Amino acid sequence: MKLTSKRLTPYILITPYLLHVAVFVLFPVAFSIVLTFHSWNIISPMKYVGLDNYAHLLKDRLFWQSLWNTVRFLLVHIPLQIVVALALAEFLNGPIRGRAFFRASFFLPVIVSGVVVTILWQQLLGFNAGMINKVLTGMSIPKVPWLESPDVAMYAIALMATWKNVGLYIILFLVGLQTVPMQYYEAADLEGATRWQKFRYVTLPMINPTIFMVVVLSTIGGFSLFIEPYIMTEGGPLNSTLSAVMYIYRQAFQYYHMGYSATLGFFFALLILAVVAVQKKYVEE
Amino acid sequence: MIRKTGGVVPEGGEDEREIPGRVRFFFLSAGRFLSYPLVSLCSLLLLTACQPETSTPNRPLLFWCSNNAAEITLAREFTDQWQRNEPQTPLRFQPIPEGQSSEEIILASVVGKTTPDIYANMWQGSVEMYAKAGVLVPLDTIPGFLDFISERCDSAVVTEITSTDGHIYQVPWKVNPIMTLSNTQALAKLLPATHAGGSAYTYDAFIAAGEAFKKDLNRDGYTDQWLGYTEVKALWYQRLFNFYPLYLAASGGAPLLTIVPGQKARAAFNNQYAVEVFRFLQTLYKNDYFSKERLSATRDPFLDQRIAIEFTGPWQVSFLKRYGPDLHYQFYPMPVPASQRGPIYTYADPKNIVLFNTCPNPTAAWAFVRTLVDRPGDLRLLELTGQMPRRKNLTTDPFFAGYLTQNPRLKPFAEQARFLRGVDNHEQIVEVFDIISQEYEACVVYNRKTPEAAIADAAKAVDVLLGN
Repeated sequence: MKLTSKRLTPYILITPYLLHVAVFVLFPVAFSIVLTFHSWNIISPMKYVGLDNYAHLLKDRLFWQSLWNTVRFLLVHIPLQIVVALALAEFLNGPIRGRAFFRASFFLPVIVSGVVVTILWQQLLGFNAGMINKVLTGMSIPKVPWLESPDVAMYAIALMATWKNVGLYIILFLVGLQTVPMQYYEAADLEGATRWQKFRYVTLPMINPTIFMVVVLSTIGGFSLFIEPYIMTEGGPLNSTLSAVMYIYRQAFQYYHMGYSATLGFFFALLILAVVAVQKKYVEE
Repeated sequence: MIRKTGGVVPEGGEDEREIPGRVRFFFLSAGRFLSYPLVSLCSLLLLTACQPETSTPNRPLLFWCSNNAAEITLAREFTDQWQRNEPQTPLRFQPIPEGQSSEEIILASVVGKTTPDIYANMWQGSVEMYAKAGVLVPLDTIPGFLDFISERCDSAVVTEITSTDGHIYQVPWKVNPIMTLSNTQALAKLLPATHAGGSAYTYDAFIAAGEAFKKDLNRDGYTDQWLGYTEVKALWYQRLFNFYPLYLAASGGAPLLTIVPGQKARAAFNNQYAVEVFRFLQTLYKNDYFSKERLSATRDPFLDQRIAIEFTGPWQVSFLKRYGPDLHYQFYPMPVPASQRGPIYTYADPKNIVLFNTCPNPTAAWAFVRTLVDRPGDLRLLELTGQMPRRKNLTTDPFFAGYLTQNPRLKPFAEQARFLRGVDNHEQIVEVFDIISQEYEACVVYNRKTPEAAIADAAKAVDVLLGN
């Protein structure tokens, strides 16, 4: 009897966590998978539809457009984020006056609410009343329809998202830079390497794991793009800023197509997994 | 071997090594004796908490009203009056809980089975979905309802609110007709109301006024004074305040869908009226007569006189009374093509009253609702909220004449109330508006399609959506 109780104790200890995982992770995932084979509007009974949701996904033009929009965002956002974060980290890693102040300043947007930042940028990017266009016209440069043009809006959002998140990646790069042993730089100095050569042949290879981490984190973060277009443009103009997550949300909570939305979400999760796996393989090589 | 808590490990093997004595005691003893009753108690509490209040028998009826101050006052007055007159049937009111939209809250309450018994702010377009889900009380099964409804509303309204299954699940309560608000001082000479003896603007007059009124005030090469503004976002419900009322005005109140019981609904808007509306609005945006930039995020442009026209409802009357007492303005029906004949319809923005089937006493709930929608109830709605009751003969009934005489700004809305339409009774009406909205943005705002192609594409997409 005593032995049985002792054996049960560890299980009792991990029960709260297991319950949490079962209720908030396993059940929703399993339920989502079941949902992908059903049509359900929340308030009426579920209807089995077989693979109809998957077939619809393949020919859903708007979903593929939203996916392409997300890719366009990532293509600008990730390189921009890495370049800016690395440049600023390199700058902040040097012996500059007010280093702590600058580090804190660059990190500040990360801790400000995404909604607040988005609303601020919406005001800044306004066509007539926005401060950025006022500065441009003051310099005799034509106004830019930042959020009104389908050709520009997604890039304006990528710019804003970079500004918002770059502080976090600066910190990660700073950590990476500080782990590079000084003797490598001293050896490079003895060889007469220039500052660029030291950066290219010492720093970059040494911080490769950090770069990989930043790429993966910003890819996953970028794929979940939602708040910015939801608040700034509602996916417009002409669906040019409709991100995949926003489209999934719209299917679920605007049209109550829970089955189809789950199908999109499931497919999207697999896609992110595949992209990250490819990135990992590429960076490792 | 040393334990993590210190001391020597006694004999007894691996198990005893891992857990310190006091902790072990708690889990082995307290765990054994307390955990089961504790877990049972917690489960009981959780189950009790999950039990919807609405399932408790003999409870007071619950009435949800809108959560604006005026309607809360209205609900309080009528609930108090009911309590005084019917103390044996307790009823309490509660403003609808806060959320992104009342539709979202109602849906959540239906899913959670925490619906009120009576809800007075249901958008007409949502009713069909709930009716099909079987969560509403068919009011026509309550004795006296059909007599009441035919006395209150004309046959067109009764047809409009009748569900595809032949039952009526809603009481037409209030409307906010969408009309053209015009700064008559700024547009005195530029935009005369020329249609039907001066009661409305024509498209041609509107466009001519747009050219004359737009200005680059600060001479930076960009227009900063426009004839008007209407929301450009491609959100489905924004079309209820521009495309849809214009379509109803041009077409004499034609529906968007053809709904025949027993058959699949079809798009009915691929016609000259919809094309003309798209062309009219496209001209306004193409020539910069209406602003493409969102002005709703800035200070009110009508008050600032950066625009002189808005498509809006009676809620604007109290706003302008408070913030723009010196402005000279008037409300007109929606603009129409010069060829338009007959009454000028518009969108009603109807909000109706429904009973949920969780209601333990629908007859008593209906008796309460009747007090809200009888003539004194409707007058009080007008007095407190400035919203129009949806009843026939509003302008000719002497009961309301005094109020309308004292509030002449609301008279155009009362007159317009004779020519109103809600939305088609279809559970996918939101998606229909969304499809129109997508084409609206492509054609009207961004000029990427001709009006003919945009309307045809929208109608085709709607037919696919409806399974044709």
